[in-house]
Amino acid sequence: MSRVIVITSGKGGVGKTTITANLGSAIARLGFKIALVDADFGLRNLDLLLGLEQRVVYTAIDVLSGECSIDKALVKDKRQPNLMLLPAAQNRTKEAISPDDMKKLVTELDKQFDFIFIDSPAGIEMGFRNAICPAQEAIIVTTPEMAAVRDADRVVGLLESEDIKKIHLIVNRIKPKMIQLNQMIGVEDILDLLVVPLLGIVPDDERIIISTNKGEPLVLEETPSLPGMSFTNIAQRLNGQDIPFLDFMAADDNLITRLLSIFKK
Amino acid sequence: MNPESTTSPLNLNPNASKPYSQVHLKRAGKKLLLILPDSEAKDANKDWVELLQDLKYCLNHHKGTWTPGTPVHLLVENRLLDSRQFHHIGETLEAADLKLTRVFTTRRQTAITAATAGYSVEQETQKRELFPTDTPSPNNLTEPLYLKTTVRSGVAIRHPGTVIIQGDVNPGGEVIADGDIIVWGHLRGIAHAGAKGNPECCIMALRMQPTQLRIGEAVARPPENSPEVFESEVAYLTTEGIRLKSALNFNKTHTFAAKDKGWSEKITPNPA
Repeated sequence: MSRVIVITSGKGGVGKTTITANLGSAIARLGFKIALVDADFGLRNLDLLLGLEQRVVYTAIDVLSGECSIDKALVKDKRQPNLMLLPAAQNRTKEAISPDDMKKLVTELDKQFDFIFIDSPAGIEMGFRNAICPAQEAIIVTTPEMAAVRDADRVVGLLESEDIKKIHLIVNRIKPKMIQLNQMIGVEDILDLLVVPLLGIVPDDERIIISTNKGEPLVLEETPSLPGMSFTNIAQRLNGQDIPFLDFMAADDNLITRLLSIFKK
Repeated sequence: MNPESTTSPLNLNPNASKPYSQVHLKRAGKKLLLILPDSEAKDANKDWVELLQDLKYCLNHHKGTWTPGTPVHLLVENRLLDSRQFHHIGETLEAADLKLTRVFTTRRQTAITAATAGYSVEQETQKRELFPTDTPSPNNLTEPLYLKTTVRSGVAIRHPGTVIIQGDVNPGGEVIADGDIIVWGHLRGIAHAGAKGNPECCIMALRMQPTQLRIGEAVARPPENSPEVFESEVAYLTTEGIRLKSALNFNKTHTFAAKDKGWSEKITPNPA
């Protein structure tokens, strides 16, 4: 049995796919077998971020139509044999498959993997419904913006009504400087509204843009970076380890105290 | 503190004339009544998806208030349900440890489908009201609805009575009650008390940070500058619009004047 986790946000552009690619790579590096399922039919990007675009031959649609087996459609990552990608079809729309189809795909993957990540499309329509249907857990991605937090709140409500009870939160693109100056919503304010356990915080970093353009997940880079470390930590936390949160305001020693106060509540 | 307020008449929800415009679960002796609202004709399929979602939401936040195996009577009035939909309802109830046993409807087609699906059916004639005691009038409210949940963005709670929420109402969330609204938590969304036009209804919250407040036919925005210290507050209607006051002692210091259709401060000599 594998842990089936959907990565979703409601709002677009908050970093769902980037987090799926990086977190997936981090988990694979911990030694787990993991499959990344791209549920963004018609607007697939996950293969790009992993640098696997040129290796995609079959897609999930071909598996469902019986044209090939699921093992044939799975693309093995070029760097990590533990990581596999099930690509979405680019020439179809989200209406091309149903929640039951999605369930079928995941059931077939279930035996071979420790983790299955489903990269959900933005929105709360059909594509979102497809993505959450087979999942037992969810990771909500939000950024410290009012619009993203509002949409995340809506999505949490929808997940709860679909009986997905284990929901984790990742706050992406934190700018410690702006939070200090009170120009950005703090992590504790987001937690106060959403009331979902925090899995991790990822700082805003230009290197993330560079790595997505190169198709090389940041976590795999030789030189350690702050966002890379936070992804590794999130992977370990997801695996049940108790890892303290990174201190992004090392110079001022502020965030640690803030985070501590969150957990004392 | 005086929220800016207007008394323009509100566009009342057209559904409000029906006693129940949302999925509702009600206790009746040893069984539960599941009341489904009448369908809207425009988009039957979408309507059904929303209804099923409503039903799951309703079951979720009432969880633990019944013993496993409690029989459920389904009241559907004039809604058309096919066998697949009955199957869905049955499955959803079963997942919550409930058993659908009996179906009440005024629609012949629905009655036949229910009977074919193996439920005992009572078909009521169209003329007789299914909820004779629930006739909507400001003073005849149904029993309060008690919710232990966070009302998140996109969720609207509609109830023909008083609503009590243990939890927050988040921005984008809405509570519309024909009676009072009490939020034991943050009120950050929209609250509409006395939705059938009763000006006596109040809105109370431990932390009053609403997007908008509505009482009867009045609307108010909260003041631009939020207070530094929050206390539990009550929103009530005066002749000048909606006002906020510390909830403590409100009932001792204020009284409702039916002729003014608003609350005013009691004129009592201060004992001290």
